[in-house]
Amino acid sequence: METGDRPQCSDECREALRRLGALLDGELGEVTQAKLEHHLADCEPCTERRDFEEGFRELVRRGCTDEAPPDLRARILSQLDEIVTG
Amino acid sequence: MSEMPNTSAAGADPEAAAASPVRRELGDAERRARFEAEVLPHLDRLYSAALRYTHDATDAEDLVQESVAKAYRSFHQYREGTNLKAWLYRVLHTTYISMYRKAQRRPQESLQDEIDDYSFYDEVSRVTGTSPEREVLDSFTADEVKEALAALPDTFRQAVYLADVEGFSYREIAEIMDTPVGTVMSRLHRGRKSLQQALHTYASERGLLTGPREA
Repeated sequence: METGDRPQCSDECREALRRLGALLDGELGEVTQAKLEHHLADCEPCTERRDFEEGFRELVRRGCTDEAPPDLRARILSQLDEIVTG
Repeated sequence: MSEMPNTSAAGADPEAAAASPVRRELGDAERRARFEAEVLPHLDRLYSAALRYTHDATDAEDLVQESVAKAYRSFHQYREGTNLKAWLYRVLHTTYISMYRKAQRRPQESLQDEIDDYSFYDEVSRVTGTSPEREVLDSFTADEVKEALAALPDTFRQAVYLADVEGFSYREIAEIMDTPVGTVMSRLHRGRKSLQQALHTYASERGLLTGPREA
């Protein structure tokens, strides 16, 4: 059930949509990736969709930056002193 | 300091050096220095991951501290030339599981099958009558993102975090979480959709998404 099918949505668009996640994750093989990028270059709706999904990943990344409390580092360093490795 | 061989010169055979278990040959001082130089720069990231794992600042500190100690004890097992960051996250992940196993008695939650049909993009398009602009994403605060992530079941949250925030590959995540690649892909797929759905709810509550609302 693709609620987002556009009237002019082609099989190629559907295929692009299906592989979009893997494309953004950098997990497609070279040939498939090239094919998909070729389609994106020609298809504005798919490009918009790609940009949006890419934006979502950035949003998550942006939302999750925390700095370790300064004393954590100090505690870790003194903890290392007590550990005997080997 | 100890009777350290000159390790860089010992790399006459780079293949062998890359494959050898790390630094067993190092003296304590050298090992400590290397560990500090290579591992401690990851501290902020590890802490950030630990916060997503535990949902609590104190627990996150404990988890990082325990993980770093564990990593230090087994630093000799880390293979030089392999992915140190992935190795550290694997240590963090297993430490989390062993520290919080008792607390995890509740059965592993999963996500409703219906989530597969959900798409933020399509849903917003349907409600507002236009494709969502990327700007709509800028309206979300970091707290909302964290809250939405926190609402995901553990394994889904971890997969999404490792992929989207830390940029690990499917294979690396599979190794970190000790699970098949196919499982990682499905957790990512559903986890992201569920995350989008949660954010969609926030946006609706704020009256951000208005438009012809019939269908």
